[in-house]
Amino acid sequence: MLIDKKRVKRNKALDKFFRGFFMAMAILSSSFIVIIVLFVCAKGISPFLPGYEYGQVDLISFLTGSIYRQDQGIYGVGFIIINTLISAFLALVISFPLSVLTALFIAKIAPKKLSAAMQSVVELLAAVPSVVYGVFASGVITGVVEWIASLFGITTFGGSSLLAVVLLLAIMIFPTLTSMSITAIRAVDPNLEQASLALGATKTQTNFKICLTAAKSGIFAGAILGLGRAYGEATAVAMVAGNKLFGPTFNPFDITRTLTSTMLAGLKETTGLDYDIRFSVGLVLIVVIFFSNWILNMVKKRIGRNSVA
Amino acid sequence: METCFDVKNIDLFYGDKQALKDVNMEIYKNRVTAFIGPSGCGKSTFIRCLNRMNDLIEGCKVSGEIIKDGLDIYSPKQDIVDLRTRVGMVFQKPNPFPMSIYDNIAYGPRCQGLKDKKKLDEIVTTSLKQVALYDEVADRLGDSAIGLSGGQQQRLCIARCIAMSPEVILMDEPTSALDPISTSKIEDLCLELKKDYTIVIVTHNMQQAARISDYTAFFLLGEVVEMDETDTIFSHPKDKRTENYITGRFG
Ligand SMILES: Nc1ncnc2c1ncn2[C@@H]1O[C@H](COP(=O)(O)OP(=O)(O)OP(=O)(O)O)[C@@H](O)[C@H]1O
Ligand SMILES: [Mg+2]
Repeated sequence: MLIDKKRVKRNKALDKFFRGFFMAMAILSSSFIVIIVLFVCAKGISPFLPGYEYGQVDLISFLTGSIYRQDQGIYGVGFIIINTLISAFLALVISFPLSVLTALFIAKIAPKKLSAAMQSVVELLAAVPSVVYGVFASGVITGVVEWIASLFGITTFGGSSLLAVVLLLAIMIFPTLTSMSITAIRAVDPNLEQASLALGATKTQTNFKICLTAAKSGIFAGAILGLGRAYGEATAVAMVAGNKLFGPTFNPFDITRTLTSTMLAGLKETTGLDYDIRFSVGLVLIVVIFFSNWILNMVKKRIGRNSVA
Repeated sequence: METCFDVKNIDLFYGDKQALKDVNMEIYKNRVTAFIGPSGCGKSTFIRCLNRMNDLIEGCKVSGEIIKDGLDIYSPKQDIVDLRTRVGMVFQKPNPFPMSIYDNIAYGPRCQGLKDKKKLDEIVTTSLKQVALYDEVADRLGDSAIGLSGGQQQRLCIARCIAMSPEVILMDEPTSALDPISTSKIEDLCLELKKDYTIVIVTHNMQQAARISDYTAFFLLGEVVEMDETDTIFSHPKDKRTENYITGRFG
């Protein structure tokens, strides 16, 4: 007999056990997330509640304020939100075309060996810790920014500036964008490329009109991920932002302040309101990321309607 | 009768495995030529020689000549883009691009640099009418082609090919993924199209070959065993192996 009844029974039991095991793991990990969010929320909301031990903060002036001076107890993050949006978005604008073209080159154009080598480099870049990027930024990018500024006859604060943050973030999100794009482009049905070539399209036309179009949904997913990283990057950004006290900053050579750099600056040496308010800033960051993802996902749905990958 | 392709001594290797052995044939203009034969005998390999799609396969080597309009299409003088605009291809699996119906059909002409909206409109309309798809999709040309049924998609792919006004249409088992109704629509279409085009079709369906083709070539193990007018092949095959195959006694 092919079917061994005992075996079937044992398989069923095993199946049940694993289902329970995975369920427990899922509950455990998701409860961690819930606990973290609840903790951040509780801490972040507390300064705005009446009876807060270090003196209640006004929520509206916190959210819309354009000055952030912990030394004077003035906490306004409105301009910081704008700064964060600007720096992340500009980083994406710079990085996106570069990484998509790089991905196209790696996935479709480069000879096999070069393609494999370049892809390992991209993966390596993704694995570099952000503090290393930060050191690089404060050592090299700031120098470059200072030099560019001097061409315009502008002096900077040692190169720390919005531009430095943008360049740093552009470099940091490049590996994410590129490897997501590579995956998306590789997933495009080769039959589509064949059909395009059979219609007398050149290789280049096929790459741009078919591969990129069909992969756009995956490429866009990479952009969302990259933007998320750009919003959330703290260590490296804090090293070149300069933490301006008011704003928003639109001048690329002026220093700036992002939500993350605000949370990080002097975190270890502070207590009381100045400590708790960082959780509020963190909450704002979460909400900003949430909203921007929500909008981008709607855009993605629109442009992705005709996409396969 | 004018010759469209004059195939001389084609040998083809994938790596060091020989897939075509000394293939010789003439394919005539404005006729339907069918390739039949058991799986793996090299029909697809051969039809892909006619628009040089084999160039895309790594390790594929072709020797011999395929003369079209006095020029060997494998000679370095042959411009490959030009060849493929004149020799179109429809694949086994419908493969519409993930774009609108309109853009699918306009794709080929646009790649050749045609931008004139009026001309494109006209090409899209006439191509869709030729494959009898126009009435079904006229009110949703802007919709994604992915939403069409399999049979509609395949007719769209034929329309996309026709939009280039090629001289030849190569079809590799174009109906194998379709239901009988869509299949008969595409068969009728072939008969209709041969007025303007030369058609080469690979099929596993004997009745289909008999119904629509003027000439039939029987492939076996990379060789052309026999090629003749379809009536002759099906009523008086010269080779025993052909007879065995078409009567289903192959083995
Ligand atoms: N890309 C390839 N690389 C290596 N060998 C190949 C390749 N394509 C086809 N072959 C081999 O060449 C031979 C002919 O294949 P081909 O696809 O032309 O057969 P076919 O007659 O079209 O078969 P079917 O009716 O199943 O489509 C087969 O033995 C096949 O394994
Ligand atoms: Mg085949």
